[in-house]
Amino acid sequence: MSRTVCALLLFAVAGWAQAQTTPEALEWLRKIYQASEQLSYSGTFVYQQRDRTETSRITRLAGVDGGTEKLEVLDGAPREILRTRDEIRCYLPESRTVKVDRRSDPRAFPALLPERVDRLAEYYRVSMEGTERIAGFKGRVIALSPKDDLRYGYRLWADADSGMLLKAQTFDREGQTMEQFTFTHLEIGSVPRERLRPPHAAQGWRVEQTAVAPVDLSRSGWSVGAELPGFRKIIEIRRMLRAAQPVAQMVYSDGLAAVSVFIEPMSGRPEAARFGLSSLGAVNVYTREVADHLVTVVGETPAASVQRIGNTVVYRPQ
Amino acid sequence: MKAKISALMDGELDALEQGEPMAALGTDAEALETWRTYHLISDALQGRAQLAHDCLRRVMARLAEEPALIGPLPADVVPPERSRWFAPSALAAGVAAVAIVGWMAFAPPQGAAPLPAPVAEGPAPTAVTMARRATEAPVRLPMTEATRDYLIAHQVFSPRSSLQGMAPYVRSVAAESHPGKP
Repeated sequence: MSRTVCALLLFAVAGWAQAQTTPEALEWLRKIYQASEQLSYSGTFVYQQRDRTETSRITRLAGVDGGTEKLEVLDGAPREILRTRDEIRCYLPESRTVKVDRRSDPRAFPALLPERVDRLAEYYRVSMEGTERIAGFKGRVIALSPKDDLRYGYRLWADADSGMLLKAQTFDREGQTMEQFTFTHLEIGSVPRERLRPPHAAQGWRVEQTAVAPVDLSRSGWSVGAELPGFRKIIEIRRMLRAAQPVAQMVYSDGLAAVSVFIEPMSGRPEAARFGLSSLGAVNVYTREVADHLVTVVGETPAASVQRIGNTVVYRPQ
Repeated sequence: MKAKISALMDGELDALEQGEPMAALGTDAEALETWRTYHLISDALQGRAQLAHDCLRRVMARLAEEPALIGPLPADVVPPERSRWFAPSALAAGVAAVAIVGWMAFAPPQGAAPLPAPVAEGPAPTAVTMARRATEAPVRLPMTEATRDYLIAHQVFSPRSSLQGMAPYVRSVAAESHPGKP
């Protein structure tokens, strides 16, 4: 048998082994979405990323107002985040700061809506990978394998009864796990409202408000040249960072992964800019200078994707 | 020195005597040229005359022109033409490895038109950009005040929250780190 025929046969085998998107797997994604909207729960999860492992408690009380959710980091300094439909408050004891991100129009916020789940199959193969027990729950495993190398892959473990997400893994092209969230303890059902109160200690802390307003960046001469295939621009805003610095932000998403492009003037930054690529778990950051402005691209995508989008940022004075 | 180099090549020097000509090869251009010439003569005498005198120089010059793709690449800089065979899949690792071998056997000959990249839009990465990327493996992101602000601002818009609620926010409240700390 010739070498070429041999190679072709191997490709055929590889093709069969590659899981294809199934309607069942897409249905499970919808189920996870609905569970995250409708369930009240309280649990402890472990976040793992390279050499970092951190335990946090998450509490959610569902409601018609969109619900209230609280995240408390249990290791190290007791950092907390409170989220309602209208705002996010980060309590950072190290700097005695409360960072407030207020949502002017919650409807404008992108969400992975059930009707958009089907579109994910354009960029990922969504398939079932059996069952595995997580924190005492029977987990159905759903894998999202990217069809190109512009995005990471995901493996999700959903409770077979409620659809609640029990574990989530992000993996790269080689199948290496980039980061992982795993519940070690979970109770599904109503939680007392007092467990969602802000921390007492935060009185007297500095409050940093973030004002967000829509903006049309193209009118000020900024543009992102070639967008990444599958990533569409979902929002373009102007916000304040560090209380005083106006920053433009454009967000691109393929429905699951998102990439933000931040543009701000070079002058007036409190710390020196660091150029090039850096990463934190599955988040990659690429920084460069364009026309006396700092361009920072942040994305839960491979480094090549944030770099590619960052390199197409252009300023053409009007 | 020429006599000593000749003796060194022929293996006639003991360990102590080797020191002087060896050092000269590292510092003296003329000694190095002599060493190369003698090897060329030796090759010619033994019928290996196809090795031209300046072969080394030309190989080194060609290497200098090559993009810096030698050695293990960071995960994200494998050229897209090949990377699709590395895509995460349900393949067993063994099957994947065999498939890669198959791919190499199936690769077009040098100079043939490359296979279309999986990404139609945008220019294919040139040797120059690939070389630059290879030297730009991501460093660890220092968790500074500015980093935190970017991460929170970004997280707010990530559709992933729709599946996972607040858990991904844990990234943006990582403990403070300092630049330079591993």
